[in-house]
This record gives sequence, structure tokens and C-alpha cells, in this order.
Amino acid sequence: MRILRSHRVTASLCSMTLSSLALFSTAAHAQEPTTTPESTPTPADPGPGARPDETTPPRGERRGRSRRPALVIEAGTVHPVSGPAIADGVVVVRGDRIVAVGKKGEIEVPPNATVRSFPTGHVYPGLVDAASDAFTDPVLRFQGQLDGGVQLADDLNRRGDRSDELVQAGITTAFVTVRTPTLLRGQGAIVRPVGDGFQLWEGHEHAALSLRMTNGPAPSNPLQRQQELQAADGLFEGLEDYRKAATDHQEALKKYEKELADYLAWHEKKKGGAPAGDNKAAPAAPPSAPTDGERPQRAINREGRRGRGGGGGGEEPPRAPQGEPTAAEVEQALATLFAAMGPQDPPKPEPGKQEPGKQEPGKQEPQNPPKAEGQPAAEKKDEAPKRPTYPKQPPSDPQKDALLRVVDGELPLRIEAHRPDELRAALRLMRERSLPLVVLEQAYGAAGLGDEMAKQGVSVVLTELLPMPMPKQYEAFAPAALPQVLQAAGVPFAIATGDARLAGMLPLMAAAAIGRGLDADAALRAITLTPAEMLGVAKDTGSLEADKFADVLVCDRPLFASDSRVLLVLAKGRPEYEAK
Amino acid sequence: MKATTPRRLLLPAVLAATFAAVAPAQDLLLRASRIVVAPDTVLDDAAVLVRQGKVAYVGADIPAEARAQARLVDYGDATVVPGFVLAVTTLGRDRDLAEGALAFTPDLRAVEAFDPWQKELLGLPAHGITSLSLSPSPRNVAGGIAALVKPGARRGSVATSDLHVQWSLTQASRNQERQPTSLVGAIDMLRSALAAAKLGTSTSPDLAIMRQVQQGTRRVFVHADSFVELAAALDLAKEFGFEPVLVGAREADKVLARLVAQKAAVVLDTLQPEGRLADLTLPARLAQAGVPFAFAGAPERLRLSAALAVRHGLDRKTALAALTRTPARLLEQQATVGALRQGNAADFLVFRGDALDLGAAHVATWVDGVLLHGDLPAKANAAPSTTATGAL
Repeated sequence: MRILRSHRVTASLCSMTLSSLALFSTAAHAQEPTTTPESTPTPADPGPGARPDETTPPRGERRGRSRRPALVIEAGTVHPVSGPAIADGVVVVRGDRIVAVGKKGEIEVPPNATVRSFPTGHVYPGLVDAASDAFTDPVLRFQGQLDGGVQLADDLNRRGDRSDELVQAGITTAFVTVRTPTLLRGQGAIVRPVGDGFQLWEGHEHAALSLRMTNGPAPSNPLQRQQELQAADGLFEGLEDYRKAATDHQEALKKYEKELADYLAWHEKKKGGAPAGDNKAAPAAPPSAPTDGERPQRAINREGRRGRGGGGGGEEPPRAPQGEPTAAEVEQALATLFAAMGPQDPPKPEPGKQEPGKQEPGKQEPQNPPKAEGQPAAEKKDEAPKRPTYPKQPPSDPQKDALLRVVDGELPLRIEAHRPDELRAALRLMRERSLPLVVLEQAYGAAGLGDEMAKQGVSVVLTELLPMPMPKQYEAFAPAALPQVLQAAGVPFAIATGDARLAGMLPLMAAAAIGRGLDADAALRAITLTPAEMLGVAKDTGSLEADKFADVLVCDRPLFASDSRVLLVLAKGRPEYEAK
Repeated sequence: MKATTPRRLLLPAVLAATFAAVAPAQDLLLRASRIVVAPDTVLDDAAVLVRQGKVAYVGADIPAEARAQARLVDYGDATVVPGFVLAVTTLGRDRDLAEGALAFTPDLRAVEAFDPWQKELLGLPAHGITSLSLSPSPRNVAGGIAALVKPGARRGSVATSDLHVQWSLTQASRNQERQPTSLVGAIDMLRSALAAAKLGTSTSPDLAIMRQVQQGTRRVFVHADSFVELAAALDLAKEFGFEPVLVGAREADKVLARLVAQKAAVVLDTLQPEGRLADLTLPARLAQAGVPFAFAGAPERLRLSAALAVRHGLDRKTALAALTRTPARLLEQQATVGALRQGNAADFLVFRGDALDLGAAHVATWVDGVLLHGDLPAKANAAPSTTATGAL
């Protein structure tokens, strides 16, 4: 979020300017694109499948929750995941949160609570699928043209092919991505499947960038795979230059703001300090902000690219953080002031000469021009400062923005790599580019790399754990045996479906890992709390703990039994599936 | 039953291999907390005595003297189930198990193309498969005679060379380069042959096989997937009076009533976990209707298919039967494989838990009293020193 932070700095500066122009601030409305390429976070677009009334309120705004009737789930065994299983357990839910988890008789049941009793049932936290293609466009899965700037959250479908099976299987949180055979596959999103679609998880609409570093099971030679690595590594070339251009631009903006403030102050003083807003004759002219500096949003649109975080093709101007005026408001205020002051157009430059006050891209005019030789200082003192020029916006590249976030550790990088040499290449990329958050996917050949992976702090998302015929090149791999190997090496791992059609198989995949030596607690964690941690949502889901979302799965038998049936699924305390 | 005796050691686990090498020659007392003799016969804390690669005694029938002299293999709290029977397979050798130039070859014998050294055989015990029906490819309308073969420590063996005859009405049997080129052509080919066999005027070997089908002395497996293929197979069965086993039978639910009425059985393709609900629930619906069924297809997915069927409503007993007793019955080999009754081959699997839960570790596979996959339990008598050195 480097650029986002920069925007906040700009907005702060603007607010300083506005503080001296307080009268204008309230009258201003955004008429023009704003001054930075990235918007500040807006309330998340709930997505096409979202329910308007189900966006998550901030914790401070959960007033009234305590007045809602409580739901009490009693079961033969409660598996909190964060602690040992509780025989004769109780989970108390109020609103969208868990209030208490414990043993029956030791937990106070609120009066007037609705009690659902499953005497032989088993209660688990809602499952977390660390990789699924649910709700994604089927075309994207196989032949989509994607790059790192694509945000899949914008393209999700309310109804996918069998995507409704997620919640029926007890999956209440899923990271959705596609396995398109492109180098970069865009930024996946965290969704919360519900009975009639999904909700985007606010703040996690762009949860990880996906990179493919494999040729798949097709025959390939080491040289080809080396070229794949180089292609992946090449993505990170030039990022620092890109960052520097953005940083320089921010510096130039700061300077611009200061010069503009000086410029306005001088004219205000010259006018006798009359507040421009009081000038009733002032025309409500359109803002006359500098025109030579290309406006960022326009530049983005001209390139046919979206701005990050816009969610709507970059059409809407970004909003400033709460309590701060937006850059658009600042500009509007300044424009009103210019109108109040009358024509102030600077003289046109002679052909071939640069206009005073304008500068070339990346350059910034000195705030105070050098004094003419022999000119008395007293004469210079009253000379009007030159009107500053809006600094030119450097080109915006959403893919580079995403990669910078990866480099800065703000966005995990998910790398699909299958064979040992591909995995080693991924680990090398992580080392050489100092990537803080890397998650390996489909790491079939990871068995001999556990120590190295642990040392580098990578996490692994395991799919294809069910017994199946492997391609000839992969016959030596045993995916179902990997969880135990990774556990022994201390590598965090999640078990995931990778495919919406396999939603109901998630517990069986974990069971298959148990059959190959993984202990049952670790298997349960691998489909609940560990993926929640990987996705950065563990404070809200992944285990049955007080104050977490009431994501609850009730089964008639232990989850890993083949004949276990889902009886009830709560997502944020709301029943999303109930067996008939 | 031909017992396999390895001549030299090849298994990675030397101890296991050496123990296995002497097992057929010495009685073996298999003990476990749960022994599934057959899906409907489960013994708790029981034992089985294995002699010469076959089940000699079960449970309380074991004579005290034999018990005392036998070599103990105690799997503790594990569960022992009969080895899985793969009802139909070509072991990946479709082209060798079908005559490409002719569509009607009911007298060809799959056993003649059996390669006991085929490496695919070696991998089967890891998936719990202890016997399989090597079947002619469905590329021919009347493909030939199947054989029951078994994996071994080094090489496979033939248990029975003369099983059912296999027909095919699937798309694979139609070929634009020879007759028949269509489904109706394939049906007519079979009908004509059956009619000719019924007349009894010809003594050709192929019509002799067809006559055995009519007379009920040879079972027929018919590959048929779609409704029309299944209906055609059932029509032929009704017309000529035999009870078919339908292989594939993807749309079996559309002819469910006829399957029941004509006492047909089904060999389903192994289930795909990503399959549609209608496919995954088909085993439960067959069971509910009383249609016997088994699984065949990818060996890796045999156990998974039963687990998936259980997940989608099939009871565990029927699911285990679909891997063991039912295919043995369909192959008419229930006296030799598919159960751990007296006289059956000592083909068994050891699991830590219920075999139909994927969380149950597959500990070992024994074929004809020989350990082919997994480990010996901790509680096993030490092997003689002669075998430990690899002298055998």
C-alpha cells in the first residue's frame, strides 16, 4: 500500500492547505479526477453475490448485538481446534459472533436462548478452503488472459458451477483463485460462501498474488524450467525504478502543495485578505487546476487499466481517509479561490521555451527561483510567486503495484510449483528477491525440501490429496504423504480442494492425509485454523473461540468418517445450510 | 490355487520379504482385534490360520496344536479385511487384449496375453488389490474369455484362466474400418451369433462360447454405458435367457427396474470425487434396489470409490462387499477369493481403523499368505536365520 500511504500524506497536506482556506472546504465537491493514482480504501464492494445487509460492521458498531437472542448449540463433542475437544460441549452464539465455548453446565446459557441439541453430533469451526476456483469465470480457469494487476474479486460470479456446494460442505471461508496457465494469475480474493452466493470478505478482496512456476506434468527439460524461473524472476526487474518514480512524484506533490499554498497566500494578502468565498460575484467556474500535468485517473483510463482498489474500473474518484478532505475537495476549493481572485493566467511561454512554473516530468521547479544578479532584495520581496505547476503523474502499472506489495510483504505471493527443481527455483526466487510472504501451491515434490522450506518460512497449500492416478512424470510423488512430512519439518500447511467441485471432499482429503500418518488434530487444523492464519483472517474465523465469527459446522459423526453427514452450517451465526 | 514362492529377495524391507518367503511353507497365525471374514461376518479379537497360502481355519475352529506351532503375526488393534478384487481390467494393455481386425472373437483368451512380469501388477497390492479379472478389451463386440490373475512378490500368477466371456456395446466397439460401425450393427452381430448358437448346427469354437452363455454355463459381462446400450444388452439377455453383468453402466439408474427384473448385476467405473451427485449416489441407489454391483477402473481409486459411495449414502457392509465378495461372486470365484473363509486364498489387507475410512492407514497387503505390501507387525515371530541371510 505504498502509494496508498502516499495518498494519505497528500491528503494531509491538502488538509493543511484547507485549514487556511476553511471557508472553502465545505463548499467543495469533487469535479475532477483526484491527484493520486490509488484510492484510499473505500468500504468494500460487497460483490455481485453479496447481501447488502450482511457487510461486517466494525467491532465498535456492534451495538445491539447483545440484545439479539442467543443461539446455543449443544453437541456430544465440540472441536474448538484452538484447544482440546470438549465432550458434552456448548457453543453460545449471539448475532454474528461466538460468545462462549465450553462444557455443558460450565457455560452460562443466556435466558430465552434458542437451543439446538445434537447429543451425538460433532461441532467444528466452519471449514476454510485455502484454494478454490469457486465463483470464478470458467473461461478464466483454462484460457484466461491474466496478469498481476487483475483483481479476481471484480470478476466473480454469484453462481458458479456447483459453487453452492461449498457452504453445504461446511466451508464458510475460501480463497478463490484460478489455475489459468499464465505466468501471473491475478490477485485472488477471500470470499464467504453463503446459501445463495457469496460475500467478499471486506479488506481481503485482494488477498494474494498468484504466480505459476511450472510447466505442469507435460514433458519438459531442465533448460525449459530454468527459463520459466528466469521469466518469473524478470517480473521483479525494474520495480525499484517504478517505486522511485512514484516516490519522486509524491515528493513533487508535496512541493507543489507548499508552493501553491505560498502562491495563494501571497494573492490573498494582495487582495486584502478578503475571503474569496464571500465574493458573491465569483463565477462557479469549473476548477482551473493545472492542465499540463496529466491527471492520474485519466492516465489510467487512457491506458485501459483499472486503478487498484477502485473495484469499478477506476471510474469513481477515491475517497480520503475519514476526517481528511479529499484531494478533489482541495482542488475544488482552490479552484473556487482562483475564480474569486480573477484571471491569474500566467504568461504563455515563447515557442521552444519552457513555460515558467512548468517542469519536465520528474523534475520540480525550485520553490524560489534564483535571484537575478544585482537585483535588490527589497524589490524581489514583493514580486508575485510563480504559479506552481502540477507535477506529471508517472505511468501507472497495476501489476507492478501488486508486485511491490509482494516485495513489501503486504500481499502474499502464491507460487504454483510441482517438481523439486521448480520448488527450489521458487525458494531461490524468494531468497534473492527477499519476498517475505510466500505460499507454495501443488508442491507435489516437496518431500525432500521440508527443512529448506521451514528455514525460509514458506507455507504450503496442499491439494490433490485424494488417491488418484498421477501423470507419468509425477508417479514418484505421494501427495497424501506430504502433510506428515511437512508437519515433521515444521512447515505450516493447509489442505485445500483447489476445485469447487471437490468442496465436499475437503474432509476426505484431510482424512487421506491421516491415513498416511498425519495426526487427526493436525489434519483438522489444516482445513480450519492454519488456512485462516495463512489468509490473515484467523482473528475472525478458523476456530471456535469467543468473539470470532459464529462459523459453525455440525456433523452427525466425526468429520473424517466417510459417512459423516453435515447437519447444520452457520456462517456469522446465520444458518446457511441445514440437512433435511 | 497356485502359491507364489519368490526365489530371491527383492522387497526393500528385507525382514518382511524373508518372512514372506517362508510363510507359505509354514502355518501362519494371523491375529487382530477385528477380522472381517466377509462383510457380514466380523470376528472381534480373533485369529485366522493360514496354511499353504490358504485360509485353513478361522476363529474358534483353529486346533490348539496348530495354533501353538504356527508362526504368529499379531496386528494388535488393527482390522483385517479380505483382499480387494478388481472385477474388470486390461492392466493398461487394451491393444494386446483385442483383435483389431475382427469384432467377433468370443473364443480368444485374455490369459494368453498375460505378462506375469508386467510392472503394473507390482503396484496393485499398494492399492489393496489382491486379485483381478484380466479381461479382453471392450474394443471388440465379443472380445473373449477373461482370466483371474494375482500379483506376486516378483511376478504375477494365473489363478483361473477360464472365466466369463466379455462383450461390448460401447462406442469403443464400433470401428469405421471393420464391422460393426454402429450400435445396431453390434447388436445384430451378437443376436445373429446367439441365434446361430441356439440352432446348434455349428461346432465352431466361437459359437460354442455363445451357446454356453445361452445355457447359463458361462457368465457374460457386457460393456454398456448409455441407456440405449444398456437397454440393448438387457433386450438380448431377455431374448436369449441369460443374466448379464453390465460393465460401466453409467446410466444404470435409467434401467433400474429392468436390472432388478432380469437379475442383472453391474460393475461400475471407479467413482470420480469431482463427479456429479447423480454419479456419486448411484451405488446407494443400486443397493437400495437390490442390484449387486462391484467397482472396476483405476486401481488407485478402488477404495476411494467405496468410501465415496459410503459418503453418499451407501452402507458400509455393501460398500465393502462391492470391493470383495460381490466381484468374487460375479466372477464366480467366491470359493477362492473375496472372503477369508476356510479354503479361500489367504488374501487380506490390514488397516488401522475401518477400511472404508480414508483416515485408516493401510498397513499391509498379503496375497496367498505372502506379504506383498507394508510391514510386519511388531508382534511377529522372528524369521529363521537362514531366511534372514537371504539363503532362500
